[in-house]
Amino acid sequence: MKKLIATVTAVAVLSICVLAGCSTGGDGVIRIVFAAGQDPSGATAALIEEYNASHPGVEITFQVMPANTDTQHDAYVTYLSAREPSIDLYSLDVIWTAEFSRAGWIRPIPDGLFDESEFLSGPLESVKYEGTAYAVPWFTDAGVLYYRSDLLKDAGLDVPETWSEFTQVCRSVAEPAGITGFIWQGAKYEGLVCNFLESLWSRGGDISAETLRDSPERAVRDVESTIDFMLQLIETGISPASVLTYKEEESRRLFTEGQALFLRNWPYVWSIAEDEKSSVAGAVGIAPLPHAEDTRSYSTIGGWNIAVSTYSRHPKEAFEFLVFITGEHSLRLRAIEGGYLPTRKSTYEDPDILAVNPHYGGFFDVFQNTRNRPRTPHYPIASDVIQENVHRALTGEFDSHAAAENIVTEMAALLSR
Amino acid sequence: MLAPSLVFVALLGAFPVLSQFVLSFTHYNMKFADERGFAGLDNFARLATDATFLQDFWQTVYFTVISVGFELAFGLAAALALNRIGRGRATVSTSVVLPWALPTVVAATMWSLILNDRMGLLNSVLVRLGAIDTPVVWLGPGLAMGSIILADVWKTTPFVAIILLGGLKSIPDQYYEAAALDGAGRWHLFRFVTMPLLRPFIAIALLFRTMDAFRIFDIIWVLTGGATKTETLSIYIYRVLFRYSDLGYGSAMTVALFLIVFLMSLGLLKIMKVTREPLQ
Repeated sequence: MKKLIATVTAVAVLSICVLAGCSTGGDGVIRIVFAAGQDPSGATAALIEEYNASHPGVEITFQVMPANTDTQHDAYVTYLSAREPSIDLYSLDVIWTAEFSRAGWIRPIPDGLFDESEFLSGPLESVKYEGTAYAVPWFTDAGVLYYRSDLLKDAGLDVPETWSEFTQVCRSVAEPAGITGFIWQGAKYEGLVCNFLESLWSRGGDISAETLRDSPERAVRDVESTIDFMLQLIETGISPASVLTYKEEESRRLFTEGQALFLRNWPYVWSIAEDEKSSVAGAVGIAPLPHAEDTRSYSTIGGWNIAVSTYSRHPKEAFEFLVFITGEHSLRLRAIEGGYLPTRKSTYEDPDILAVNPHYGGFFDVFQNTRNRPRTPHYPIASDVIQENVHRALTGEFDSHAAAENIVTEMAALLSR
Repeated sequence: MLAPSLVFVALLGAFPVLSQFVLSFTHYNMKFADERGFAGLDNFARLATDATFLQDFWQTVYFTVISVGFELAFGLAAALALNRIGRGRATVSTSVVLPWALPTVVAATMWSLILNDRMGLLNSVLVRLGAIDTPVVWLGPGLAMGSIILADVWKTTPFVAIILLGGLKSIPDQYYEAAALDGAGRWHLFRFVTMPLLRPFIAIALLFRTMDAFRIFDIIWVLTGGATKTETLSIYIYRVLFRYSDLGYGSAMTVALFLIVFLMSLGLLKIMKVTREPLQ
């Protein structure tokens, strides 16, 4: 019983401490907590150690969050809606900026804190909501086309640039080789939204608020033809029906086991494909995704930004750390040690980074054509509208026209809300 | 000493349930806290016309009826078989219980690997046996719900088996001996001795399983995420409450689910007539 009382008291004291935000110890050191997903390379922890060593009055703690993006989102929403003061900085997926800033959970970035012109345009756009920056770009991601360079070379073919060349190459190279033509992410989840939008944009369509308001018929037509094209990939056997159950890893595995000619995925696949355990090491190339004849290639932008919490008790120190962790030195180390794609343009010309990551040159080309998913505080609903309708159309539950009309009507309502 | 426990029950049980009821009459999205306000019956009116809720309701019913049906049938068969084993029952029983002892998410992840169309065990066995030529997309349209039911039946049949085995053990041997003396055959022993005495145990198993199955979340979340007509009410509620942070509407859905499960359980108890009738 005594033990129980002691435990209860300890827990009570601790919780009061958390509630009251014991962020300054008796020693006068300001404690700042930075919440982000795990960094297995250890680069982030090393950077924090370096920062702490050179800033005696401040102590940064790295709070590691669950790897799953949705789990992180739900945890942050819970903390922030309860005005949790114990976390000062959050790393946010690029699709969360509008949601979190509209809720008043993150602080606008003070003028002059960072030079916008030094960042890639896609990530820079993603930190803004109604013209104001609420975060600083940290690392980036974009949809990339992986191809089997050995098979294309044997066939004497170049990497196809347009969708019609692309489907032709799938037929003439993949079919005789007895492998799958094109693998992508078609399961009902966020990845499907990215794949769908890339396909839509690369055919000259879009579902921006303006298009949905001014020419909804055109939007319906474009969305419908995009879904039809994705359906055709499956019906003609270029993509297997099972692609509708694949997320990143299922699709990646098929490709690195040598069972597919083309793969749409994120940059992380590169180091796995080139690993000695991969059956396609040395036989892989990267290129921008294909596009329709009269348009250009687009990639959906992914990646993470860092923002300062509205409920932080030490915003000045938090912003100071933000400058450091998104600075060139930090991005460089994370690129070299962890392979995280930097958001600053200059890093793509850095000889040290290129020596470790020679493929970054190829990624830089892709990053010229990135585009953000719809930026709205209602993003989770918007994403589900797209996931639901596209997936149902691809599995035959809806016809593509009905799905397209649903998407356009519901998205128009969300984006004008 | 009653007072502390009452306070505890009130805090842990009644408070969350009541606050859920209160929330269901408000407009409250955590992201738009400035728009918070009283909603009256708005959320329930919206629920009545929500096509997704209705579709998910029927999908949940379908999942519950089929999976609980199989679990009862297999569980009963397993319990009868286990009851006949003399030596080594402990070992056999333990191995039968194993699937139920696994954390559901672990079991579900295991099934997602087994059911994977290209690299999964099931397809590779079937192809080798010559039963199929091309891999079957088990988690694709048409088959997904069946695959989920398969995983759930595998996972929870042991639970039913153990409850029913306990019931079988409680039937005194004299009843069988007396009936046998009166010339009852094996079918009659089963029909007129085992079944009536086992009924309260079947009722308990049925009740627990139905309530659980109706709230199914984890297996489906891992296997399909609710795609291709496999979304259940719990998954929809999760989406609204957590993904959309819509506490008002999400709470109304929770209240509806609570009422559905409550009424269903009452109905089951009535059908199974679990009352204190004297033995006939």
